[in-house]
Amino acid sequence: MVEIILCGRGGQGIVFLTRQIGEIVAAKGLNVISSETHGMAVRGGSINSHLRIGGFFSPLIRQGHADFLLSLDPSETSNNRHYLKPGGLIVENSPEPPEPGIRRVNATGLARDIGRVQLENVILLGFASTQDGFPVTPQEIRAQIEKDRREQVRDMNLKAFQAGIVAAS
Amino acid sequence: MPSQNDSDVRFLMGNEAIGRGIIQAGCGVAAAYPGTPSSEVLQSLVRWKKELDHSIYLEWSINEKVAFEVAYGASLAGMRSVAVMKMVGLNVASDPFMSAAYLGVRGGLVVVVADDPGPHSSQTEQDSRFFSWFAKVPVLDPGTPAEALEMAVRAFEISEKYQVPVLLRPCLRVCHARQNVTLSKPAPIANVGPFEKNWTRWAAIPRFRLVLHGELNEKIEKMRLEEPESKPVPILNGSGNSIALVTSGSVSSHVRDVVASDDRLKDIDVFKVGMPFPSQADALQQIVDSHEKTLVIEETYPVLELQIMDRRKVEGRLSGAVPPQGELVPETVEDIILKSLGETPTEREAPKIKSRRPSLCAGCPHRPAFYMIKSIFDEAVYSGDIGCYTLGINMGAVDTCLCMGSSIGMAGGLARTPTASNGTQVVATIGDSTFFHSGVAALINAVHTGAPFVLVIMDNSVTAMTGGQPTPGNPYLADGSGGKPIDMERLIQGCGVDFLEVVDPYDHDAMKDALEHAKKHVFEDRNGVAVVITRRACIRAPNAEIPSQRFRIGDDCDLCMTCVKDLECPAIHYVKGERRMEIDEDLCAGCGFCVSICPSRAIELKGA
Ligand code: SF4
Ligand code: SF4
Repeated sequence: MVEIILCGRGGQGIVFLTRQIGEIVAAKGLNVISSETHGMAVRGGSINSHLRIGGFFSPLIRQGHADFLLSLDPSETSNNRHYLKPGGLIVENSPEPPEPGIRRVNATGLARDIGRVQLENVILLGFASTQDGFPVTPQEIRAQIEKDRREQVRDMNLKAFQAGIVAAS
Repeated sequence: MPSQNDSDVRFLMGNEAIGRGIIQAGCGVAAAYPGTPSSEVLQSLVRWKKELDHSIYLEWSINEKVAFEVAYGASLAGMRSVAVMKMVGLNVASDPFMSAAYLGVRGGLVVVVADDPGPHSSQTEQDSRFFSWFAKVPVLDPGTPAEALEMAVRAFEISEKYQVPVLLRPCLRVCHARQNVTLSKPAPIANVGPFEKNWTRWAAIPRFRLVLHGELNEKIEKMRLEEPESKPVPILNGSGNSIALVTSGSVSSHVRDVVASDDRLKDIDVFKVGMPFPSQADALQQIVDSHEKTLVIEETYPVLELQIMDRRKVEGRLSGAVPPQGELVPETVEDIILKSLGETPTEREAPKIKSRRPSLCAGCPHRPAFYMIKSIFDEAVYSGDIGCYTLGINMGAVDTCLCMGSSIGMAGGLARTPTASNGTQVVATIGDSTFFHSGVAALINAVHTGAPFVLVIMDNSVTAMTGGQPTPGNPYLADGSGGKPIDMERLIQGCGVDFLEVVDPYDHDAMKDALEHAKKHVFEDRNGVAVVITRRACIRAPNAEIPSQRFRIGDDCDLCMTCVKDLECPAIHYVKGERRMEIDEDLCAGCGFCVSICPSRAIELKGA
């Protein structure tokens, strides 16, 4: 059983990440349930997704239960920190150096280098996928991204994903 | 949604699962009006239709009342049909909904009504299960996306069996949850045969309505006894314990996980009711009688609780054990149960939440329109409406927001203030989709009565807030097939409006002129309502035109903050420490409006 909170601002592609992970897990025959934010908040407001793998019925994670917190915006990390369980890991998009319990990658900067800031979410996913205990492997995610039939989107995503993995090593 | 086998597993959003259930049930007609959290049901039907090469007819109706009537007509014509809306949409559709319960249906008729406890994106926390009780219509209350799919199919069966409409009530936590869901093969489109004339039923006068009411009561009693969903079903721990918990719908999923994860709670018998109305009151009473205490946890009104006759051993909303408002999230559910058991509640550090407020997109055509309305009508009362443009509150350009279309009706009343004669001005703002939805009748009323206000219709060609569904102004329908576009100017002129101007909101001077003319027409020359259409596609719409030009803030900037405070463009921010302003190139949409409004003329074209 793994529980993950993903957070950021509306428009940063949180829902996309949640779906990628969920689809991989569902295709493996495991139970997975998630919850996402829609409506007014997606106009640049604070948003988060909950993703729960295992025999759950509720799509919501309780405070103090999440194994991972993936954050695309450092100011949103604090809004969601209370979901993390003691010893849970934060994976954050930030140029700052890491701290105990927080791994960081400058996903926005790397995405700009690639030429599309919108790819920051995929970079963060690449980075997160190398962390111990993360429920999907880099190989599985890569295979999932490769399924996209839109050639250009696929290639950009693969490039961003790889950049995230490289940043972790 | 990738390729399709006869049976496969997908990671589906609750609304997509409901769409799939509608297809699997052999439904032939679906009509909806978008509204969070229901919008993705019809959107998914568009995709299922394409993926399966299915012949279901789909439409985004002009409003929920019409959506219901279209679905009802199709049912009388023999088709299985569905109308989809959010719960406040059911208020709009309530007139035909209530009446249809009496008349009954032919082809199975399901009304999907999405509730929003919280509320997260709505005006109220109303419980559509209560509405269904009021209308004497059965309601199914799913707990997960997978269950929502099954219940969608069951809803059609029950509807056809008893010839009544059936309400399917998913809450937001089902609509916007995703889950691995197993699909099965769609049934062929069902058909109970063409319409059969019988005016004593389909056009019943009051005398026959009495008879039909009796029939409806009989149907409800029969269903209560015969349909398995009306019974409380044990979902955890079986029976024989001293404490029982009765639950329903999406909150039942939180209950299940909370009880299953805590050893202190293993002696609670948990029961779930799939059809909260009509439910088997006797079976509920039996649970209550055979336990020392029964806790009822449901959202948001005490629908099951009220159906229990002897509530002396019951804890729930009526006893005060369950809070009377707000979403029942898992933490709340845990607290309620532990407290009821006399256990110590879980200690949690209070979350430190500083939520970022939502804001109109950078480059949104509404922003310059609001800016200009505020600058021309300085002291006006701004009668607002429902859509992305409710966010005009951030700019101080929306003072009221009641319900869909209310900006125009309310402006007619706001303009009648005792001070109207000495200068209070009223400006109403409404989007194109909301205007079509329920603004037209109010405009006719305002013209006819000579109500003195300015109406700005912000036409961005889509229902933007809910994901960009096409409005009647477009030449295509929900599934992309052709539709006749409604000419808004002709419509407004047809309403009898004498003053009408159309402007591009990116065009600073044109907008200024149009609003000044409108102001003169209404408030100086004392004519009735004036209409200004600000027309430009939403920057997220398929027909959006996003300028490639980008801007920078030069040295003449004196940090007056007009662009941040009054224009509120999210692409512009103050760089702390450096005492300067900056435009975020990733966010800027190149509208150029900041250039026109900067008092120091400090904003300039990049690379110029
Ligand atoms: S989605 Fe469209 S209408 Fe809504 S805020 Fe953005 S640009 Fe404006
Ligand atoms: S920064 Fe200026 S040009 Fe860019 S979106 Fe905002 S107002 Fe328009």
